[in-house]
Amino acid sequence: MAHEFRLPDIGEGLTEAEIVRWVVPIGGYVGMDETVVEVETDKAVVEIPSPYAGIVLHHGAAEGEVIEVGDVLVVIGEEGETWPPGAEASEPGDAQAGIPPEPASEPEPSVPPEAAEEEPAPIVGTLPQEAEVLPSRAEATERPPARVKALPVVRKLARELGVDLATVTGTGPEGRITREDVLAVADGAQPQAVPTPVPPVPQPAQRTVPAGARPEPERRPLTKLRRTIAANMSESWATVPHVTTFDEVDATRLLAMRAALARRHERKIPMEALVVKAVTPVLAAFPEFNATLEGDELVVHRRYDIGVAVDTPDGLLVAVIRNADRRSVLGLADEVTRLGSAAKERKLGVDELSGQTFTVSNIGAVGGGFGTPIVPPGTTAILSVGRAVDKPVARDGRVEIAPLLPLSLSYDHRVIDGALGRRFMAMLIENLEEPGLFLAD
Amino acid sequence: MRQRLTPSGGLQGEAPIDLQLTRRLYRAMVFARTYDRKGMALQKQGRLATYAPFEGQEAAQIGAAAALDPNDWVVATYRDAALMWAQGYPWELLFAGRTGDERGGSPPEHVPVLPPSITVGGHMVHAVGLAWAEKLQGTSRIALTSFGDGATSEGDFHEAMNFAAVFEVPCVFLCQNNGWAISLPRERQTKSATIADKAVAYGMPGVQVDGNDLFAVYEVVKEAADRARSGGGPTLVEAVTYRRGPHTTSDDPSRYRDQAEVEEWARRDPLERVRIYLAENGAWDAEWQAAIEAEAQAEIDRAIELAERMPPLGPGEILDAMFETPPPHLEAQRRELVEGLQ
Amino acid sequence: MRVLTMAKAINDALDVGLEKDSHVLIMGEDVGRTGGVFRITDGLQEKYGEERVIDTPVAESGIVGVAFGLAVAGMRPVAELQFMGFSYPAFDQVINHVSRIRNRSRHRFTAPMVIRIPYGGGIGAAEHHSESAEAIYAHTPGLKVVVPSTPYDAKGLLLAAIADPDPVVFCEPIRLYRAVKEDVPEGWYEVPIGQARVEREGSDVTLLSWGAMMLETRKAADRLAEEGVASEVIDVRSLVPFDAATVVASVEKTGRAVIVHEAPRTAGFGAEIAATIAEHCLYSLEAPVRRVTGWDSVFPLKRSEHQYLPSVERIVAAAHQTLEA
Repeated sequence: MAHEFRLPDIGEGLTEAEIVRWVVPIGGYVGMDETVVEVETDKAVVEIPSPYAGIVLHHGAAEGEVIEVGDVLVVIGEEGETWPPGAEASEPGDAQAGIPPEPASEPEPSVPPEAAEEEPAPIVGTLPQEAEVLPSRAEATERPPARVKALPVVRKLARELGVDLATVTGTGPEGRITREDVLAVADGAQPQAVPTPVPPVPQPAQRTVPAGARPEPERRPLTKLRRTIAANMSESWATVPHVTTFDEVDATRLLAMRAALARRHERKIPMEALVVKAVTPVLAAFPEFNATLEGDELVVHRRYDIGVAVDTPDGLLVAVIRNADRRSVLGLADEVTRLGSAAKERKLGVDELSGQTFTVSNIGAVGGGFGTPIVPPGTTAILSVGRAVDKPVARDGRVEIAPLLPLSLSYDHRVIDGALGRRFMAMLIENLEEPGLFLAD
Repeated sequence: MRQRLTPSGGLQGEAPIDLQLTRRLYRAMVFARTYDRKGMALQKQGRLATYAPFEGQEAAQIGAAAALDPNDWVVATYRDAALMWAQGYPWELLFAGRTGDERGGSPPEHVPVLPPSITVGGHMVHAVGLAWAEKLQGTSRIALTSFGDGATSEGDFHEAMNFAAVFEVPCVFLCQNNGWAISLPRERQTKSATIADKAVAYGMPGVQVDGNDLFAVYEVVKEAADRARSGGGPTLVEAVTYRRGPHTTSDDPSRYRDQAEVEEWARRDPLERVRIYLAENGAWDAEWQAAIEAEAQAEIDRAIELAERMPPLGPGEILDAMFETPPPHLEAQRRELVEGLQ
Repeated sequence: MRVLTMAKAINDALDVGLEKDSHVLIMGEDVGRTGGVFRITDGLQEKYGEERVIDTPVAESGIVGVAFGLAVAGMRPVAELQFMGFSYPAFDQVINHVSRIRNRSRHRFTAPMVIRIPYGGGIGAAEHHSESAEAIYAHTPGLKVVVPSTPYDAKGLLLAAIADPDPVVFCEPIRLYRAVKEDVPEGWYEVPIGQARVEREGSDVTLLSWGAMMLETRKAADRLAEEGVASEVIDVRSLVPFDAATVVASVEKTGRAVIVHEAPRTAGFGAEIAATIAEHCLYSLEAPVRRVTGWDSVFPLKRSEHQYLPSVERIVAAAHQTLEA
């Protein structure tokens, strides 16, 4: 079998070498560790010993030529072999077997004259073979716009409260945003340009204390996040006339498809990924659901930034999937997963926590069924998806058991009337029951 | 300069060792030369990192090791593979170190040889400490440290010689004066007439010996070792030899020395004179020569195969030998390293 | 219990170490007959003999290198280098050999040894006698580096260092040798290497220091307390391994940190601590981390020392800066 022997980096920062003399011609025999060729590096003429015993089948370069480290230097094989396998013996540049190659009559001027003037190699070790080209230092970089000044602890607080620091006026030294500035925005005392909505949160069960015992009640101050949620909820509840419509979807095909995707790609497919994929064409068909009511104007968005509710130890947050309409189911699954873990590690940026145009809340993850979600401020609707539960359904005149997915759609009745709501729901149901419809998008 | 065997194999005075041991040491020198030439070839094939050859210095190394007890400490350099091997260090670990693997520095439990010193000179002081510890613990072990003529200019040569002499520790200083410290000739290294002369200043014996003469090296180192073992303190031995190869595979000696000088020293080959001596005494023939060469080739081939078959250190293992128990910061860095590789 | 100075506590630790383990040796310049230039080894040669408390030639590289050989062969040497500035000639031995023999032999050979280095300024010494080079040692992988600031810790840490299977650089603050006294138990006890000591708890600002600067840091904490500021004072005392957990927990609590050391600021160990705080506590910080350190100058001679060493006033001012941010 023919062995290729490539010019090694023999540990002195060698990048190339010139063939001085082929000691063993093509067709000649070379023993193990016997010199096969003399090469000249930028430091010395080196006799290169062959790592194999056998017949020299090929010279990687003619005498006088320069060969790079890593290129084939010589091929050693057995009597009668050719290289490359099957090739005729008369390779260009190769002499006939057994006859020493003649030096090229017109040696290629392939040795760059600079080669001799390169940096001397070190006595030990290996230098990188290709120098990285550093960017010119002459070009002055443009000064970026001034960043918001705030201490890390204040940034963290703002993130927890969903306050966009870019919208806050700092009252501290040198315009620094203080903790109080953020709290003021969170409490609504200071107006914020882009309100950050927070989805509905399950209320903790009320504990009843037996009459007569009258222990002192425990007074728990609300966390900042909880206070923000409370303010948002109150604002929404007070200003938005809510209507909620309920329905159930036969999720047989949806769940089968989800399972198949999970098998094929060996990963979890979060329900949100499918629901978001199913809902974006519906939003396109009914733009009122992807809008913001500003005074007497309805701002209809041309982007589909879908908020998904994420349960974190600090409270429920809405993380935003940008341009959801342009993402595949797998792409959405990636994003849902990423946002979920980033939210839990509190690594989400402000821009990932605000500005959604529609919201999906998967309360099924915590076992929920139907609910009456509250429309986040700045949007017109929210869809809550419960847990699929096996239920009897009538199909083709027979009762069958099928997984039914509970849907609850709340919307702003100022913008959307009941009929529109039903049509929205009908199309969504169609999509979820026949996943092929939305996958086609 | 002490000499027992002339370059043409003539015996001066009495042979310090019998024919059987001479044959064994000759065989060891053949092994050493086989290893050294293989090392040069492997490096040019890209299979070893930089290699520092010792061809021409076999007698100095094999002869010195033969004068030691198997328990005696050896603290040597990157050019002392033959010496280290003769004291028990396996060829495959010597190769492993040259392939760029820390485990080459970890000889078996019973081998009293430190991994080779890469910096010049600092290791001589270690031998003084090792020898002193043996003295304090009342054992009969001694230490031998090997170094080149260049190392005698290092401050640690002075500190080691001085400590050893002041505390009368059982240490043998073996200088292999091979004529060249990379490109600097011995004459430019020191103004002293000989390196052995330097011993006078420390109040210890200094002996110059023909370093290419197996018998003379054995005899002188044996005397020094016996003196150390019997409480007589340290000795400086200057073995005059010659570095026939380059400093390392990255060096080109034609830039600084005449080829004629190299050829002159080739005529003083340390193996050849022992071969002639053995032949004249009916203890050598071509058949035996062929047999030991084949044996050596097989053993060296096996050693490089073992070294190359060893898988590299696993992810994060570079952090595992910093302390006996890794502190929390190293455990954290190890996790970070391993995650980064995934 | 006896009330001892740090000098006596270290002497006591060496005495206990020599007594307990016959492999323990003391070696260094003038450590024997005169008991050391700071009298730390006073009386030990008399008690244990010239073979165990060894006056060496004046050769720092030799002392450390020979101690290395002794350690590899099973002894437990405790080498003294008279002043930090005199430890520099031994860098080759410490950095090229002592710190890495375990790794270069993959645990086959080890150097369990202690290098005691009196260090630091504030005593009006000659040039080279006031250096604080602890960061250089801390930057060398394979060494442990400890700095006691109390007699109790000095004895307990030194005994832990003697028992440690790896080399330990033991930095002794010269200015504290006789400046602090404390109850020190008799016999063998160890203070674990790798644990910081929370000397005083507080909720407003964390003051971190080690060695002689603990004196100023304590006084600064007193001064701040008078103003109603509750400082948490941490004696880092082990630079390698560094007890990041204790520091992180404290700064997460207080949100403010002032690091005090007398070594020059650039690449001082305070930078390592500040980076650790940035990596682990950034979102708890109420203010930028402050460093109060020696300047990036050669350590000044006697008449100008006061300009160089961190003062109580500088520490208090830095704490104020963190509180006002």
